[in-house]
Amino acid sequence: MRAVPLTPLGRPATLAGRHPVGARAKFATRYFLRLLRTRPSYAVGYAIVAVVVLVAIAAPLISPYSPITADPTVYLQGPSLAHPFGTDNTGMDVLSRVIYAPRIDLTIAVIGTALSAIIGTFLGAWVGYFQGTSGIRNITSVTTMRAADVLQAFPVFVFAIALVAVFGQSTTTIIFAIAFVNIPIYLRLMRSQVLSIRQMRYVEAAFVSGMPDRWIVRDHIVPNAIGPVLAQLSVNIGWSILLTAGLSFVGAGVRAPTPEWGSMIATGFPNVMTGQWWPSAFPGLALAVTVYGFALIGTSIEFMADPRRRRTLAAAEMSA
Amino acid sequence: MAVVRYIAGRLVFLIPQIIGIVLVSFLLIKAVPGDPATLMLGPMATPHTIAELRAQLGLDKPLPVQFLIYVDKLAHGNLGTSWQTTQPVLDDLRTRFPATLELVTYGLLLALAIGIPLGVASALGKRGPLAKLGGFYGLVAGALPDFWLALILIYIFYSLLGWVASPIGRIDVTVTPPHMITGFYTLDSILTGNWAALRSSVHHLILPVLTLGLVNAGPILKMTQATMERMLEADFSLYGRLCGLPEKLVIRRAFRNALPSVITIVSVLYGFLIGGAVLIEIVFSWGGAGQYAVQGVLNSDFNPVLGFVIFSALFSLVVYLIVDLVYLAIDPRIRH
Repeated sequence: MRAVPLTPLGRPATLAGRHPVGARAKFATRYFLRLLRTRPSYAVGYAIVAVVVLVAIAAPLISPYSPITADPTVYLQGPSLAHPFGTDNTGMDVLSRVIYAPRIDLTIAVIGTALSAIIGTFLGAWVGYFQGTSGIRNITSVTTMRAADVLQAFPVFVFAIALVAVFGQSTTTIIFAIAFVNIPIYLRLMRSQVLSIRQMRYVEAAFVSGMPDRWIVRDHIVPNAIGPVLAQLSVNIGWSILLTAGLSFVGAGVRAPTPEWGSMIATGFPNVMTGQWWPSAFPGLALAVTVYGFALIGTSIEFMADPRRRRTLAAAEMSA
Repeated sequence: MAVVRYIAGRLVFLIPQIIGIVLVSFLLIKAVPGDPATLMLGPMATPHTIAELRAQLGLDKPLPVQFLIYVDKLAHGNLGTSWQTTQPVLDDLRTRFPATLELVTYGLLLALAIGIPLGVASALGKRGPLAKLGGFYGLVAGALPDFWLALILIYIFYSLLGWVASPIGRIDVTVTPPHMITGFYTLDSILTGNWAALRSSVHHLILPVLTLGLVNAGPILKMTQATMERMLEADFSLYGRLCGLPEKLVIRRAFRNALPSVITIVSVLYGFLIGGAVLIEIVFSWGGAGQYAVQGVLNSDFNPVLGFVIFSALFSLVVYLIVDLVYLAIDPRIRH
C-alpha cells in the first residue's frame, strides 16, 4: 500500500482531510478495509453474514423447490443431484428449507436483540448515571438492579418457554421473549460502562458548566459507552438465533411447516439414530456457520472500539 | 468467626431473593393460559366435575390468596403435586435433580479438562498457532447448537461406529438402577459395589458428557486465555522475571492469580446449565429436572415448573456462596 502522508493526529493529510465530515468517513472506510486485510478472519465473518442475509433476501430466486410443499413419494432420500441436501421425512427438500429458514431466524434474532439493546442500554444508562445519588432516582435505580438480579436468576430457557406459553406461539411473542431475556445483559453492561465514564473529567466539566443531566447522558456518556454494547450486539444476535432454534426444537417456537433451522433439526431427530443424518445435519451446520459469522463480527467490533488496539493496528500497518 | 458471620450474612440475603423469584415465577405461571383441571380430567369431563376439581385444587380463590397458600406450603416443604406424574413434585425432583446434576458436573469437569490446558497453552503461545486454534475453538464452541452436536455425535458414535450404548436414558433398560443414596448413578454404583450398573451408567454418560464438555470448554478457554495473558503481563510477573525466577514459576504464579476468574465462569456455567442442559436432556431422554420443567410449561402443569425454578435458584445461590468462600481461601487479599 502506498505511503499516505499523515498529520500529527494520524489522519490522512489528503484533500479530504480539510473537510471534517468527509475526512472522517474516508478515514473510517480506509481503516475498516485495512482491518479486514490484516485480519482475514474478520473478513470471513462479514462475508458469512453478508451471504446469509443475501440468501434470505433472494430465497425465492435461488431455492430449487418450494420450502413447504411436501412430496411424499421422495421422502427421506439422501443427498443427490436432484436434492443436494436430501429430503426430510415428509418429502420436503432440505436445501430449499435451509435457504428459506434465515428469513425467520434472522428476523426474530435481529429485531429481538435490537429491542433488548435499546431498552437495556437506556435503562442501564439511567441506572448507572443516577446510582449513588439521593432521592427517588436512586431508589428506582436500586430497585431496577434487584429486579434484574431476580430475572437473571431464572433459568433462561425455561423462562423463554414460559413467556412464549403465556403470550401464545407466534413470531411476535418469540421476538418478545428473546428481547425480554436479553435486557439484563445490556442493562448490566451499560451500567458498568456508565459508572466508569461518569468519573471522567469531561463529564465533570459538562456538569459544572450547567449542562442538564439528560444532555450529559446523551452527548457524553452514551457515545463513549457504546463500544462494548455494539460488540455484544453482534454476539447476542448469534445467541438469539441459537435460542430461537432451541425453542423451536422443543416445540415452543416457530410452528411447522415454516422452515426454521431448529424445528428442522427437531423433525429430523428421530431419524438420526436409524442413519438418516441429512435432515438434521445440514440445518445445524447452516446455523453454526451463521452464528460463527456473527461472533467474528462481534470480535472485530470489539477490536475497533478499543482505541488502544486501533492504534497498534495503525502502527503495524505503517511499518509494513 | 468472621467466616461464619459472612456466611450468615449471605444466608440472610437468600430469603428475600428466593421470595422474589417465587413471586415472579408464580405470576408468570399463573399467566400461562390453560386450565389444569380441564387438562387433568380430559375432554369428556362435565362442567360440574371441573368446577369441583378447581375448588379442590384451590384454583377458584383470588391470586394473592393462592400465592400465600403456596408460600405456606413451601415453608412446610410441600411443593405440590404434578398432575402429569401424579407424584409430589419434591419426590419427582429428588430423582431428577441429581440426574441433571450428575450430567452437568461431569460435563463441566470435562470442559475444565479441555478448556484450562488449552487456554493456558494459548496464552503462553501468544500469536502462535496454538493461540489461533484456541481463539477459533472458543468462537466455534459458542456457535454450535448443543442439541445439534449431540445428534451428530449420536450419529457418528452410535449409528455409524456402534461404540456407545443406545442414547436413551441414564442406564440400560435391562439393568436395575443402583440403590439411591446420592442420586448420582455413578457414585451410588460405586458405593453399593454394583459394577454392572456402574458400567452401564458410565456407558450412557459418555455421549452427553462429551457434548456438554466440548461446548462449554469454549467460554472456559476464552476466559482462561484472556486472564492468563493479563496476568503474564502484569507487574508482579515482570518483577518475578526481573528477579530471575524461572519462567515455569512465573507461569505458576500467574495461573494462581488467574484462578478466581476461571472459578467465576465455572460457577456461572454451573448455574446456567442446570436449566440450560434441557435440550441435551431431551435428546438423550435423560429424565432430568430441566426436561421435567419444560414438559410442565408445555402442559400447563404449574407445580413442577415452580419447584424446578426454586430448586435451581437455590442451587445457583448456594454455588455462588461456595465460590465466594473458595475466593476467601485462595485469595489472601480478601481475607484482610
